[in-house]
Amino acid sequence: MALTTAEQPSVRASRATGTPAKRRGSRRGRRSEAVAGYVFLSPWLLGLMAVTAVPMLLSLYISFTNYDILSPLSEVEWVGLDNYERMFTADPSYWRSVTVTVSFALIAVPLKLAVALGVALLLNRAWRGVGLFRGLFYLPSLIGGSVALAIVWVSMFNREGAFNGFLGLFGIEGKPWVNDPTWALETLMVLAIWQFGAPMVIFLAGLKQVPTELYEAASVDGAGRFRQFRSVTLPMLSPVIFFNLVLETINGFQGFTAAFVLSNGTGGPIDSTLMYTLNLYIKGFTDYEMGYASAMAWVFLLAIGIITAVFFSTGRFWVHYSDGDDR
Amino acid sequence: MGTHTLAVSRRPSGLARGIVRMLVLIAILGIVLYPLAWMVGTSFKSQPEIASNTGLFPQEFTPSNYPDGWNHFDVSFARFFLNSTMVALLTVIGNAASCLVAAYAFARLRFPLRGFWFAIMIGTLLLPQHVLTVPQYILFKQFGWVGGDWPYVPLLVPQFLATEAFFVFLMVQFMRGIPRELDEAAKIDGANAFGIFRYVILPLSRPALVTTAIFSFIWTWNEFFRQLVYLSDLKDYTLPVAMTLFIDSSGQSSIGPMFAMSVLSLLPVFLFFVAFQRMLVEGINTSGIKG
Amino acid sequence: MHPGTRTHRRRLLRGLAAAAIAVPLVLGAAACGDDEGGGSTSDPNAPVRLSVFYWGSEARAKLTEDALNAYKAKHPNVDFEVTWQANQGYADKLATLAAGGDVPDLFALDDNMLADFATRNVTADLTEYKGGKIDVSKFPPSLVEYGMVDGKLVGISAGENTQGLVYNKTLLTKNGLPEPTTGQTWEQHIDWAAQVATKTKVPGTQDPSADYKAFWVWIRQQGKDLYSGKELGFSADDLAKWFTLWKGARDKGATPTPDIIHEGNVTDISKQLVVTGKAATSWVWANQMPELKKNTKDELGVVAYPGDPSGQWARSSMYWSVARSSDKKDTAVDVINFLVNDQQAVNILGTDRGLPSNMDLRTAFAGTVTDANMKLSIQVENDLAAKFGKAPQVPPKGHSTFRSELVKAAENVQFGRATPEKAAADLIALVQPKLG
Repeated sequence: MALTTAEQPSVRASRATGTPAKRRGSRRGRRSEAVAGYVFLSPWLLGLMAVTAVPMLLSLYISFTNYDILSPLSEVEWVGLDNYERMFTADPSYWRSVTVTVSFALIAVPLKLAVALGVALLLNRAWRGVGLFRGLFYLPSLIGGSVALAIVWVSMFNREGAFNGFLGLFGIEGKPWVNDPTWALETLMVLAIWQFGAPMVIFLAGLKQVPTELYEAASVDGAGRFRQFRSVTLPMLSPVIFFNLVLETINGFQGFTAAFVLSNGTGGPIDSTLMYTLNLYIKGFTDYEMGYASAMAWVFLLAIGIITAVFFSTGRFWVHYSDGDDR
Repeated sequence: MGTHTLAVSRRPSGLARGIVRMLVLIAILGIVLYPLAWMVGTSFKSQPEIASNTGLFPQEFTPSNYPDGWNHFDVSFARFFLNSTMVALLTVIGNAASCLVAAYAFARLRFPLRGFWFAIMIGTLLLPQHVLTVPQYILFKQFGWVGGDWPYVPLLVPQFLATEAFFVFLMVQFMRGIPRELDEAAKIDGANAFGIFRYVILPLSRPALVTTAIFSFIWTWNEFFRQLVYLSDLKDYTLPVAMTLFIDSSGQSSIGPMFAMSVLSLLPVFLFFVAFQRMLVEGINTSGIKG
Repeated sequence: MHPGTRTHRRRLLRGLAAAAIAVPLVLGAAACGDDEGGGSTSDPNAPVRLSVFYWGSEARAKLTEDALNAYKAKHPNVDFEVTWQANQGYADKLATLAAGGDVPDLFALDDNMLADFATRNVTADLTEYKGGKIDVSKFPPSLVEYGMVDGKLVGISAGENTQGLVYNKTLLTKNGLPEPTTGQTWEQHIDWAAQVATKTKVPGTQDPSADYKAFWVWIRQQGKDLYSGKELGFSADDLAKWFTLWKGARDKGATPTPDIIHEGNVTDISKQLVVTGKAATSWVWANQMPELKKNTKDELGVVAYPGDPSGQWARSSMYWSVARSSDKKDTAVDVINFLVNDQQAVNILGTDRGLPSNMDLRTAFAGTVTDANMKLSIQVENDLAAKFGKAPQVPPKGHSTFRSELVKAAENVQFGRATPEKAAADLIALVQPKLG
């Protein structure tokens, strides 16, 4: 298999021949590039049309109705903005879940990314057995959100749990973390941070893309460890940091599985772990208010869309792309 | 590979630094792995002991949870492992192929409405999945995908149409890390968009492809809700669906066997990860990029 | 131009077209659920394939399969397409199937879902079959009534259960403490529990203030009921009194701390405090005894909930229902009748879904039981049967909201975040508009 581009004869040859064909970026070239763009995009476009867009639009339509899943979709009543109005005026659980979700995302996401980046840096260099270490650090993320995990977590963080045993070594009296409405959300955050494998792998892959000459050059210039990290690693890693930040933020706000399994699908104790998507799920599938749940989902899309747009617009100031195309 | 590694470890303080790093790693690892060790310990406890003994080690060692779990249902767990492996591997192939071409278009080609489609693509990431389940079921039923002879159609077809925007976005970000001079060089040499894809982007996208493969595999391995909705015959069940059958919370629960099977189900994904992350290490010959 | 372009584009167009026609189709789908799907005119021996969906454990799956096979042996033309799921995800999947117009011919519901499904016309009205294809004459009358919503018979009881207070016999005997008895008052029970706590250091009882089934018995003993039509059948004062009763019990040390109570508030059998050793009694269903026993080495006993046992009733633990959209209703009904009224089927199914609904068959079956715990739960329930009160109505739509809000309200009181009065008033304001 061809390991590097530079070994491709065509590329090497072109470099030798210099500039003659540079003017091909003309109108004709641009048009054929546009055609090629849509050719490459076609599987995605087809998927969008056939699999994604119709259900999304349908859910948008449903959000203006009283659809309850069990009655035929053809018999729903159009209720206008009622669902949206209820969210903002007549549903305390809605605001409760907004608060829970925002505090979860604000705390858990940065911590998770920091841990992932830290461990990725420690595991970046090749040494014997590093693969096993990477695997072991990834292990928690492999479990996903199973019933077994819920049992494990409760046993770690209840009154007699291992965590309190650990605190006891230092003479600290613990709390019934997971069963205490004051602390249950923090327990959930610890769980989210514990499963830092995905961003870690993405960081690792990103670190592999940093050209080694840059380090060598920096080293020759007398840059220390920290300077190298700041002036080489961080900027070169910024597209990947950006990706992780955007995606983990979205994931954080969408956090469902952990809250679902830990609280047995209730968001308890006393709504302390009632994440937005869990609330939405309960409304849709337990209370059979899919119209309302869909409205919640679209407000969510709007809110996260704005946050994501903000990320993208600030991205141009700190994300460094090697393709020189800072859009 | 490895020039960087060597350069660093030749530094005088390299050895001490290495030891410190190792100790830090092992300490973190101990904390991270404790809950998993507890899980393994519990898989060897008997049913009454699970309720009462919350310690790490079983008082009476009960390895029978493993054979009990394996043959707990009419269909053996070998079948569930096989089903999950098949679904996960096909998902990996579908995602890797379809998301790569879509990402190439977004990352490298200029075409009308590119920004618009990109925004739509990001937008599809944002809608909570649970409100899509029902509309999607209704739609897939219209397509005749539901309840056919091969029940995995509605689970797999979307994966071949780049519907996992996460991976498209991931690959776009990686591709944008590949210097554009390489495209220009290939273009000068007469390569068109397809040639650039074949000779520049594809070989250099390995870290992104490997990452996609790892995540697709693991997430499909653990995905529950969609598999629950579309699979209805015990012999078609995948691991996550089968695993829930151990616990009927209002009635009988077989927690020991469930833990045993949970531990076993971690093994294939763990091995998959360890095997594939090697490709992350080998990665690409970075000195080739800058040329 | 690249050769692949055209085919790509054609596929794209086809996809677009498919998507465009899909929406109207979807909107029109499932509208064809008909009432006349009886299919009674067709040949009784023509092959029929019946889809069956229920939740449970693999033990229930085996028993059900055996029972269905027994039916098949008598009716070789009938074939079953069985799906079973643990209760996690069952309701979600069933609802999704319903949305797609794919409701299985024969499926299981409990009283938490029955009204939701019946009022949305997912279930067929089986009234016309009563006395004909379905014989409910040997059922306790209250068990039949408990399957009726808005005057329609929408569920046939697959088994009977009732509330049971399960206690740790070993612990009590070891400490020379008396066992609880049926007919003890609530105050006596709480005093007893406090005594157990002092003597054994294990709190005597799980605080059931978050448990709808305990509150239900208590409120019936106060001469009211959980629901009255589509309204709550009690006032904020009543609920506040209930919370206050248990606040007193907690203050006496008769119950565990709120975090432990929270652990026991889930329905999981393996987490019930009586088997985790964190309390001497748990508030469960009487027929869950044998399963509880598997999670502990201690001996267990079971009595009725405190107060006058006429507060309890023969409750249908779950129902068999037929899809309104099914075109095989006759066969489905015949299968249900076999499952509940045939001695062979009843003996196969045992007490897995509760005691057999048919009293004659129950008696015959009870004679064959050997498992000590199963025997005990049958005996307790049969003893109670003589004292049972009239069955309440099936909970209306919104019952699941009441259940989850009760847990929150009770926990708010337990954790000291609300007074009993405030928690009760908040609950009523929240739940009342959701009923209907």
